Amino acid sequence: MEKKIGLYICKGCGIGEAINTEKISNIAKNALRVPVVVEHDVLCSKQGIELIKKDIAELGVNSIVIAGCSPRVKTYEFNFPGCFVDRVPLRELAVWTIESPEEKQLAAEDYVKMSVIKAQKGEVPEPYIVETVKTLLVVGGGISGMTSALEAAKAGYDVVLVEKEPELGGFARKLYKRVPTDDFSHGVLGDVNIEPLINEVSSNSKIKVYTSSRIEKIDGQPGDFDVTIAKGGSTETIKIGAIIQATGWKPYDAKKLAKKYGYGKFKDVVTNFEFEEIAKKNNGVIKRPSDERVVKSVLFVQCAGQRDPEHIPYCSGMCCATTLKQARYVTDGNPDATAMVIYKDMRTPGKLEYYYKEAQNTPGMMLAKGEVTGIREEYDKLVVTLEDSLLGAKAEIEVEMVVLATGMVPTTKEPQDYLIGLAEASAKGDEAKAQYIEKTKKPEFILNLGYRQGPELPFLEGGFGFVDSNFICFQYETRRTGIYAVGPVRQPMNMAEAQEDARGAALKAIQCIEHVAKGMAVHPRAWDTSFPEPNLTKCTACKRCTEECPFGAIDEDEKGVPFYKPNRCRRCGTCMGACPERIVSFKDYSVDMIGTMAKNVSVPSEDDRPRIIVFCCENDAFPAIETAAFHRHTFDPAVRFIQLRCLGSVNLVWIADVLSKGVDGMLLLGCKYGEDYQCHFAKGSELAKYRLGKVQETLDRLQLEADRVQMYEVAIDEYWRIPDIINEFMDKIREIGPNPFKGF
Amino acid sequence: MQGNGNPSRILVVGGGFSGLTAGIEAAETGSEVIIIDKNPYLGGRVAQLNKYFPKICPPLCGLEINFRRIKVNPLVTFYTMAEVESISGEPGNYKVKIKINPRYVNENCTACNACAEACPVERISDFNFGLNMTKAIYLPFEQAFPQRYVIDRTICPKDCPAPCVSACKYNAIDLNAQPDSIEVNVDSIVIATGWKPYDASKIDNLSFGKVKNVITNMMLERLASKNGPTQGQILRPSDGKPVEKVAFVQCAGSRDENHLPFCSYICCLASLKHTLYIKEQNPSAEVTIFYIDIRTPGRYEKFLNNVKEQTGVNLIKGKVAAVEQDSDSDDVVVTAEDMLNGEKIKKRFDMVVLATGMQPEGFEFKVPGLKYAVDGFVIDTDGIYSAGCAKSPMDVAGCGKDATSAALKAIQIGARR
Amino acid sequence: MAEEIVKPDLNFAKEVIKAGGESLKKCYQCSTCTVVCNLAPDKSPFPRKEMLYAQWGIKDKLFKNPDIWLCHHCGDCTAYCPRGAKPGEVLGAVRKLMIQNYSPPKFLAKWVADPRYILLIFLIPILFFLGEMAILGYFSGVEIPRGEGGEMSYVAFLAPVPWIDIPFMALAAFALICFYNGVKRYWLDLASGAELKRKDIYGCIWETIKEILLHRKFQLCTVNKSRSTAHIFVLYAFIGLAITTAIAAFYEWILNWEAPYPQTNIVKIIGNISGIALIIGMFLVMVNRAKNATTQGLGSYFDWLLITIIAGVGVTGFLAELLRLAEIETLGYASYIAHLVFVFALFAYAPHSKMAHMVYRATAMVFAKATLRDPSREAYYFETQKTQ
Repeated sequence: MEKKIGLYICKGCGIGEAINTEKISNIAKNALRVPVVVEHDVLCSKQGIELIKKDIAELGVNSIVIAGCSPRVKTYEFNFPGCFVDRVPLRELAVWTIESPEEKQLAAEDYVKMSVIKAQKGEVPEPYIVETVKTLLVVGGGISGMTSALEAAKAGYDVVLVEKEPELGGFARKLYKRVPTDDFSHGVLGDVNIEPLINEVSSNSKIKVYTSSRIEKIDGQPGDFDVTIAKGGSTETIKIGAIIQATGWKPYDAKKLAKKYGYGKFKDVVTNFEFEEIAKKNNGVIKRPSDERVVKSVLFVQCAGQRDPEHIPYCSGMCCATTLKQARYVTDGNPDATAMVIYKDMRTPGKLEYYYKEAQNTPGMMLAKGEVTGIREEYDKLVVTLEDSLLGAKAEIEVEMVVLATGMVPTTKEPQDYLIGLAEASAKGDEAKAQYIEKTKKPEFILNLGYRQGPELPFLEGGFGFVDSNFICFQYETRRTGIYAVGPVRQPMNMAEAQEDARGAALKAIQCIEHVAKGMAVHPRAWDTSFPEPNLTKCTACKRCTEECPFGAIDEDEKGVPFYKPNRCRRCGTCMGACPERIVSFKDYSVDMIGTMAKNVSVPSEDDRPRIIVFCCENDAFPAIETAAFHRHTFDPAVRFIQLRCLGSVNLVWIADVLSKGVDGMLLLGCKYGEDYQCHFAKGSELAKYRLGKVQETLDRLQLEADRVQMYEVAIDEYWRIPDIINEFMDKIREIGPNPFKGF
Repeated sequence: MQGNGNPSRILVVGGGFSGLTAGIEAAETGSEVIIIDKNPYLGGRVAQLNKYFPKICPPLCGLEINFRRIKVNPLVTFYTMAEVESISGEPGNYKVKIKINPRYVNENCTACNACAEACPVERISDFNFGLNMTKAIYLPFEQAFPQRYVIDRTICPKDCPAPCVSACKYNAIDLNAQPDSIEVNVDSIVIATGWKPYDASKIDNLSFGKVKNVITNMMLERLASKNGPTQGQILRPSDGKPVEKVAFVQCAGSRDENHLPFCSYICCLASLKHTLYIKEQNPSAEVTIFYIDIRTPGRYEKFLNNVKEQTGVNLIKGKVAAVEQDSDSDDVVVTAEDMLNGEKIKKRFDMVVLATGMQPEGFEFKVPGLKYAVDGFVIDTDGIYSAGCAKSPMDVAGCGKDATSAALKAIQIGARR
Repeated sequence: MAEEIVKPDLNFAKEVIKAGGESLKKCYQCSTCTVVCNLAPDKSPFPRKEMLYAQWGIKDKLFKNPDIWLCHHCGDCTAYCPRGAKPGEVLGAVRKLMIQNYSPPKFLAKWVADPRYILLIFLIPILFFLGEMAILGYFSGVEIPRGEGGEMSYVAFLAPVPWIDIPFMALAAFALICFYNGVKRYWLDLASGAELKRKDIYGCIWETIKEILLHRKFQLCTVNKSRSTAHIFVLYAFIGLAITTAIAAFYEWILNWEAPYPQTNIVKIIGNISGIALIIGMFLVMVNRAKNATTQGLGSYFDWLLITIIAGVGVTGFLAELLRLAEIETLGYASYIAHLVFVFALFAYAPHSKMAHMVYRATAMVFAKATLRDPSREAYYFETQKTQ
């Protein structure tokens, strides 16, 4: 369909007074050849909207440029389905933030010009739709996995559940009793009751269970995964829509606690997991391993090898409640027995406090804060030494049995450690790599993804092996679209939490399935139907896009030619920024579009009137800029802001082109990167920074100073910093002097 | 459109972090969602926070994305200043009456602020916990969504010439607006009514409101926020002096049968975070945290260690049970037992922050037709599911998980039809 | 630092619970109690640590330390306790066990402490005095003699010698011996725990007496001030009654002046005033406990036994006097006997009933002074103000 642009200029909110809109109209009509140009006093009013709708209907306008206020406001008013719509924040970026009237006008003209170019170059995207299936794969048949499977089935989805053990149930099978889920007034010991759940799962017509099975390979993309399941000798490949990893955890290796607590040395020092087995075996009666005698005194050591840099530095979150439960085993099994608990901090957060209170009434339970510093054997007793305890600065207690509250390690840790090691070795060269592979024992992988970026979910910096989300607000974010982690493999949690978590992950998987079926992206651009369309004929197989994509959306053949898997894509445009050949573009977002916009910004010929182009992230930096405007902070009139999906999409060619046009400097405003990154595309801002490291060579070619291009990290609430950042940068630019290309 | 082909219709009561999450996540599976909130804006409690622990990142970052997800999603409708009047029917077919209180400012509003400049009366800012004033017509905060002003009619003088109306160029102000009532038909309901800070003045031995410079943790959030009453400077209320020595009183009301019998989950982490606020503004500041148990479960342990490493931060096991005005200054004298030394200590501080806990909204304000436990938390029934702090005290991350989980329960009802 | 051996004793913990410390297990060591307690010293204050020791059943740490007695059970801690652990009540229970532990003979301690023996402990004096009456033949038709003036007279009814003074002196002597033993053992145990920093023990004793007479410590309670008022009534009533007895003895032995004495006589005046004070005091005590039952606990059997005995002494004493003046014979003699029974119980069981608190608390207070255990809060406050 032939493009017809309509430019609508709003004169409300002081725009009319501050800016000569008529002049802009003329520029649009004559210079920019915009067929329909309209000015209106209050465009967001009913009449204003009607007017635009009328033009769409009668004049066939299909690309709409609205010059008025920010795209973040009046969104419902300026919503024209089927049309390409772009909003020019004249109010915020020209009227409110620039002081001098002439500069206001100039800025307004530039912004309108850029937006018209955008409208000329942009298309309304058509979704990428392939045939998809709506079946979920759940890997791991423990309490989390089973809950995910069952709950997804209840929502009407087919599920394939794969468990490597011969039976479902996971760790919960080993429990004698469990901590009740919510109401603790009905006693301290709740029944585990795993069988009903197992039966419900295995008898559910929508759930297909594979036991004694593992995932041999996962290929494809969300909605269209090819999952190969190995059972016994045979394998089977099935189509899957989305994947949930619920492979759980392993107890921390207590042998490492031999030195500190004599585990392994003394028979009657056991872990809380072994203690659970003892209780189950004797149906609640606690007999100590050494002589099978029913114990009269047990001491529980909390945080054994936890909250401890030498072992696991984190807290497993569930041990305190577990110990309160297990103490009850001791006294139920023998009314005269005492169960002593030495804790660092009693951690029963939230409603679990009720459980703590209830469990405290356990007759023989004795609790005290303290540090267990050692355990020794005397005759048939164990002597536990304490320090900094409420029982005394240095104290000793004689007991018959000691239970170490050891913590949980995610099943993802081993594969991760191996892969990290491998990556490090590979970085040192092929020889080191070969050595590493030969020397180190290869752990069993879990997902075996056929992804160019590796077989498992990417690890989280400082995540201790958990495949947690780095986002506080978006708990199920992983960097593999359509694959969601759940339960203790994600972060330490107890059974009740894991069951809620399982539902959450199931929902996200369903969401992904539904979105890809419509050719729509998932979070954070969950509305987006555009997708990267590389012109592979010009591809040089440089592999940059396949390496840099934060979501592993691009595979490659042995020659390095990329295969784009759009359903894995989150539409950040990192590939577009990475490509030196500029061959990756979206229908409504491309290297050419942004480049042309930037190149068409007016560049004053006077040396004392610099021009700066600011590329800013639309998610955080731009809202911050707008908030600054809302506060009527003013900026140096030299700046022109261009919103990007993510700084990851910044292509170095833009910088070269723009600077060669005489623009004096370029500023990149993106999200915080590093361990606590805030980039919604995980690596976007970091990659932008990395690429800037390489801009030098580009600038050398132009014989320009590297300082002309700089990047700042800005959080959305740091609007107050924006003017300072700009001024600081302007000072530097003035110091360097005007761009020699000015006026060429 | 879910697997079985018919979209479920879901009502979400409460537009805070949990409500937004539940609503948006459900909508993105194809459900039709209605979100209502009694505030004039969405975002709820987290909108008042300066940063989140442990990343020390701004809540607005996540809110912005969620607001955008709402704006572009035709399946989501929302009403502010709205509350449930009645719920009838059964799972798969609830009829809910919703009362929409007048905002007195319509969608013509462009947030130009002319009205506020004209307005002659001031009101105490509830958003800033009474630390400053706003006009009777005001925008709750500059990044509020929807970005539209609202009038607190309760303080408008009867005989006010209403200069706001004449000041508004876009006739956005309608002082005669009346409450409206709508009825919606839904399959399931998610209750995400959240919490409010426990009223610290009820804890008499901690002297909030009686002794100068005793504030609550939520007040500190506002003091530390750039868009707060002090533009982000942490100054003590009595004389605006920057703070050098600050004490945090943990479990101020929480874990206490006389107040909140449960643990509020977030207060330990919040106080650690506040310690970072203070140290960032004044590296030489001395911060003392008095606690019963430091509760930083899971990976939060790392956050605890990071804060502990800072110089001038000390944690003392022992609950503060007496807070007095210093005899000859605005300082505050705090008494506690340092348990590990077994010694009663009296220390003087510039400012004392009470780590007050969460009182579930349901404790005082109950949604008609719901089941509540004595402590005010919602009890789920088939078809009506609680999410976040309406269900149990939890942190923001926990609310995200829980709300997503609630969204699944909610869409299951539709799938049954 | 020396390693101390912790010997948890579940049975002792259970005993504390049985003795009235049901709430013991609820304590989660937040230390609110120690802070709100105005009596607790600043160095290793109570009752938080006592709660822990009681939970773990560490007897020694509880007994070899004056703190359980420095507590006046005013209930501030219980009122503010976030867990309803009622430290005040728990310490009361611990004190009861302490008394049992120190006052010989054990069996008597057991009788007094255990509700099951309540009949027995009152039966003993009842039988004793009925026995005396039997010997005098009052049950076998002997006319009860009257005073010289022909008026009704208890002296004529039961001559002080031998029927009253002898047995009561014996009882007093017995009580004193028990106390002597108990206090001696207690003091030695205390001394084994801490060294005396002051050598002027008499000074300490004198200060303690002053403190008791002025109720300085008791005044520091905040939640329930009326407790100390009630207690001061009772205390002074006892002193008054002691004086009365002394004067009466002087009249009888030195002046050989037989009772009854005219109401105008000093001995009568003091006696009556004290009697009234005693009754008012006990009334207040009961009202208090009833009123604050929820916040601070109603008190244990142990408490109420003593309350009953003392109240009994007062009420029956007055009743007997009034009935005598009204010449109502049978009833009068009956209440006189009842009076003697209660007084008997008061004396005989003093070392094992809660009455013993006067001795052991006093001892503990003296020891606390001798070891500089209790600086006044105010003094400490200003001192810390300087240091801050």
